[in-house]
Amino acid sequence: MGQEFVLLISSSVFCIGACGFIIRKNPLIMFMSVELMLNSVNFLLIAYSSFLNSLDGQIFALIIMTVAAAEVVVGLAIILTIFRTRQEMDVDHINALKG
Amino acid sequence: MFDLATVFEFTRDTVIFTVGLTAVLASLGVILCSSPIYCALYLISHMICLALLFLLYNAEFLAVVQIIVYAGAVMILFLFIIALLGGKKEVQELTFERSIAVAFIFTLLGELYLSATVGPTKQIEGKINPEIFGTAKAIGLELYSKHLVAFELASALLLVAAVGVICLAKFSFAPLKRR
Repeated sequence: MGQEFVLLISSSVFCIGACGFIIRKNPLIMFMSVELMLNSVNFLLIAYSSFLNSLDGQIFALIIMTVAAAEVVVGLAIILTIFRTRQEMDVDHINALKG
Repeated sequence: MFDLATVFEFTRDTVIFTVGLTAVLASLGVILCSSPIYCALYLISHMICLALLFLLYNAEFLAVVQIIVYAGAVMILFLFIIALLGGKKEVQELTFERSIAVAFIFTLLGELYLSATVGPTKQIEGKINPEIFGTAKAIGLELYSKHLVAFELASALLLVAAVGVICLAKFSFAPLKRR
C-alpha cells in the first residue's frame, strides 16, 4: 500500500480527533480525542520509518507514547479533583478562573 | 502460475486497507457515541487496529508496547475513571458552533492531505539490518546509543508525572463556593 493511503488514514484520524476535541463537552471524551490525535501521528512516524528504512521514527513514537501516558495520568487526576470539588463534568460550566 | 511475491503483496495491501478503514471507523465511533463507556470501547478497538498496522509496517516492538501501554494501562485507567464518575449520556445537538467546527475540520483535513502529498519525499538509505528492523534488539541499540538523552528525559518526565499525581490525589481540596 502506498504512502498516500498512510497519509490519508493518518490525517483523517488526526482531524477526527481535533473535531471530537471541539464538539464534545465531556472532558473524558476530549482526552480520548487527544489520544486519537497522538496515535495518528505515531502511526505516521512508524509507517515512514518503515518506508525510509530508518529507526528514528520508531524512537520518536516511543517517546510520544511516554508523553501521552504521563499526560493522561495527570489529566485524569485533574478531572477527578474537579469532579470532587464541583460534582459536575461539563467543560462549559467550569469557569471559576474567568475573572 | 501465480508469482508468490505478488500474491503476498496483494494480501498485505488488502489487510492494510481493511485494518486502516476499521481504525478510521472506530475513531468516528469515539467522537459520535453519546455514552463515555462506548467511546472508551471504540478507542480500545482503534488502538488494537493501530497495533496491527504497526505490525504490518515492521514495528513489532512498538505494536506490543501499544497493546500493553494503551489498550492495557491507559484505557483501563479511563474505564476506572468512567466507572467512578458515572458515565452520564450527553445530549448531542447540532448547533451553529458545531457546524462551524466540522467545516473547519474538513478544511484542515484537505490542507493536511494536500500539503503532505504534494511535496517530494526523499528516499534515504538507512543502515538498519532488515533482519532485526523493528525488533526490541534494534530499538534498544538505537535508543541506548543515539537517543540516550531523550530516554533519560522521558524517565524524568514519568517521575514528575507520578509525583504530580500523588500531590493531586493526596491533598484534599475544599469545595468551591457555588456562585
